[in-house]
Amino acid sequence: MADRLLFSKTGRAKYISHLDLMRTFQRAFARAGIPIKHTEGFHPHPFVSIALPLSVGYSSQCEILEFGLLEGTPYEAVPARLTAAMPEGIVIHQCYPAQRKLKELTYLNYIMNFEYSEGRPQETEPAMQELLRRDSLVIQKKSNKSKKGYTEVDLIPLIRSFNLECQSDTLTLDAVVQAQNPGLNPELIRAAFCQAYPDLAPDFVTFHRREVLDGEGKAFR
Amino acid sequence: MNRTLEHILPKVQKPARYTGGEYNAVVKDRRAVDVRYALCFPDTYEIGMSNLGCRILYGLMNQQEGVWCERCYAPWGDMEEEMRREGLLLYGLESGDPISDFDIIGFSLGYEMAYSNVLNMLDLAGLPLRSEDRPELTPLIVAGGTCAYNPEPLAPFIDLFVLGEGEDVTLEYIQLYRQAKEECWSKEEFLQEAAKIEGIYVPSFYEPIYHEDGTLAEMRIKAGSGAPETVRKRIVEDMNKSYFPVKTIIPSTEIVHDRVMLELFRGCIRGCRFCQAGYTYRPVRNRDPKLLAEYGKAACEDSGYQEMTLSSLSSTDYPCLLELCDDLLDYCAPRDIGLSLPSLRADTFSMNLMERLQRVRKGGLTFAPEAGTQRLRDAINKNLREEDLLQSVRTCFSGGWNGVKLYFMLGLPTETDEDVLGIADLARKVYFAWKECSPNKARGVRITVSTSWFVPKPHTAFQWEAQITREEYQRRVDLLRDALKRDKSITYNWHDPETSYLEAVFSRGDRRLADVLEYAWLHGAKMDSWSEYFDFQRWMDALKACGVDGDFYAHRERPRDEVFPWCRIDPMVTPAFLWREREQCYSSQTTPDCRTRCSGCGANRLLKGGVCNG
Repeated sequence: MADRLLFSKTGRAKYISHLDLMRTFQRAFARAGIPIKHTEGFHPHPFVSIALPLSVGYSSQCEILEFGLLEGTPYEAVPARLTAAMPEGIVIHQCYPAQRKLKELTYLNYIMNFEYSEGRPQETEPAMQELLRRDSLVIQKKSNKSKKGYTEVDLIPLIRSFNLECQSDTLTLDAVVQAQNPGLNPELIRAAFCQAYPDLAPDFVTFHRREVLDGEGKAFR
Repeated sequence: MNRTLEHILPKVQKPARYTGGEYNAVVKDRRAVDVRYALCFPDTYEIGMSNLGCRILYGLMNQQEGVWCERCYAPWGDMEEEMRREGLLLYGLESGDPISDFDIIGFSLGYEMAYSNVLNMLDLAGLPLRSEDRPELTPLIVAGGTCAYNPEPLAPFIDLFVLGEGEDVTLEYIQLYRQAKEECWSKEEFLQEAAKIEGIYVPSFYEPIYHEDGTLAEMRIKAGSGAPETVRKRIVEDMNKSYFPVKTIIPSTEIVHDRVMLELFRGCIRGCRFCQAGYTYRPVRNRDPKLLAEYGKAACEDSGYQEMTLSSLSSTDYPCLLELCDDLLDYCAPRDIGLSLPSLRADTFSMNLMERLQRVRKGGLTFAPEAGTQRLRDAINKNLREEDLLQSVRTCFSGGWNGVKLYFMLGLPTETDEDVLGIADLARKVYFAWKECSPNKARGVRITVSTSWFVPKPHTAFQWEAQITREEYQRRVDLLRDALKRDKSITYNWHDPETSYLEAVFSRGDRRLADVLEYAWLHGAKMDSWSEYFDFQRWMDALKACGVDGDFYAHRERPRDEVFPWCRIDPMVTPAFLWREREQCYSSQTTPDCRTRCSGCGANRLLKGGVCNG
């Protein structure tokens, strides 16, 4: 099996798109002097693959990248050397040989901050409680495959658990959602909330991926 | 990161352009620097980040203790809209601080169609556009780059222009600025001292006086300013000692030229009569091939780039090209690093070289014969013989290439219909060369002929010429299009004439065009090199509203003794030489390249000892 990196992507690096991030890693391995496996074929290039692409603008402390470390670099030397070759905001935490398959990655833990610059209305918390405790919450999602241009998704079965915390100007939603087949983009939770409670729509929402989890809710590595 | 910015970014396209934080971006401690410099490129991030000159100046300034140079680019429309709505001022990418708080704001001017962006960026920074409305020393607005060779259309907006290569003079005026700031000089006092530095043109010290017919009588030096009669451009004499950006910013998102750029030499030995760069970058100065190979390898190691390109005005004229390529190939080949060579002449030597370099990809090749007949090529001193071009394409076609692009200009001085039709003949000969040589005719061939509308430029042999009228350009386009109609393998593209007209107006324009520029900007002009934004009618309206006749600048032939708006700017190539070149053109006589024989242009005076090494 492949080798893996666990890395975070925060601050200014949040805005680097998935494709750009792959290219950034390819170059960073080269400038860090860490030889990695190349793809075969007519135009061989360094092979890197990022599990569960993160939307532009989201931060994360638990991104996983797969690649193949060639001989000559010990695993424990990779994080520091590679981080030094990275743009600001990308930090490599671990480098290790993969022990389990990516399909065992079942859930994602997101922290969403609903920000209210003028102060958070009291009703936001019960409103969010109500919304996420419904039996079903169907929302339209843009889709290129569907002829209608959108498909309908029920969010409730995709949310495993959640917790709310209130501050004076923020409502924090700590949610564990399904990661893949299908995964849930937490943007849909924001959209559903704004649709159901337009008067309580926040000024801004931040999204942070805190952990990747397996089927039992334990950290996936 | 600034909160407002953070709220804006999710709403705009390609937000990574606006964040900074790239690998090798320089972040300094605000408290540890006394000069903050915003290096602005008046176009998008993708274009500006591809500019080698800016990378040089960025690296050079940041090497200086106490100086922090940051980058700033023109935001795309969606970003601009958000910034204006949220009241977010234009900021430096490294710190996120508004550039209006910086000490010096420097613009790199590469093409006339970016002028509206200069004004727009000043406005986005919250600064008054006109120099006279900025009475304080800080921020000082500076501009340089090729367009500074005729700075007049931008004169009222810019405090000082820098002529020629910026490596030395930038540090000199920063040092002077530092002294001025410490000693609390007024802006006027600073500018007077700055004007004494060679290569600095302070436009407010020169006042254009016009004849009744609208031509210039003189560029009068303001009494008591002490400004020099002429301002000589600056050059870096020794390319082996000059700064080269080995360690340079690697963008986290795609830019236009996303690769290691190795600058082989400056200047050009050829002397094509239409080419402003060919005249203004004189004399030729080469970099040592061993040094270049070292730079190239080090830059690859530091950047992780898998592609390297050699840059210059005419790479084939680099005397040690083979040696350098061999050196670089030894490094690149085992590492799968691609080496590319733009700006090659269409001769056999170059083609053999190309074949060695491009082992895998065989896409299209581009040649610029510029004119269709040998007579006209001689007249413009494009010393390219038809036999050479045909031999080159034969080599390419035999080697498996199946696409060729040919670039020409229409409206060159002395051009006749015969010359226009000559373009079609030449394209057909290229087609026959393919039929004769291609090993695999089943794949077909793509021959693309592109023409642009010739724009006469200042400081060239054609600075006195009229641009042909738009109707005449269109007639020649139609003539060529008809001639190529039946050739299915030849595609003909012609450049849209509207921007070429405005380029012709602005490139040889005087200070009266500043009002036109400001009017156009006020009415929405920006990003004029992008079809998404360019609106020709807006510019025509601006000309009309300001009572300025664009044809006066574009389509008027100037007499020999005309006083040019750029008469105070001295690129060290003499007007007498340029006039001689013009006369040579009219008798279809070529001038040999600088290495074959010195033709006495005057640029040698910039070198110690007065001899060009070629």
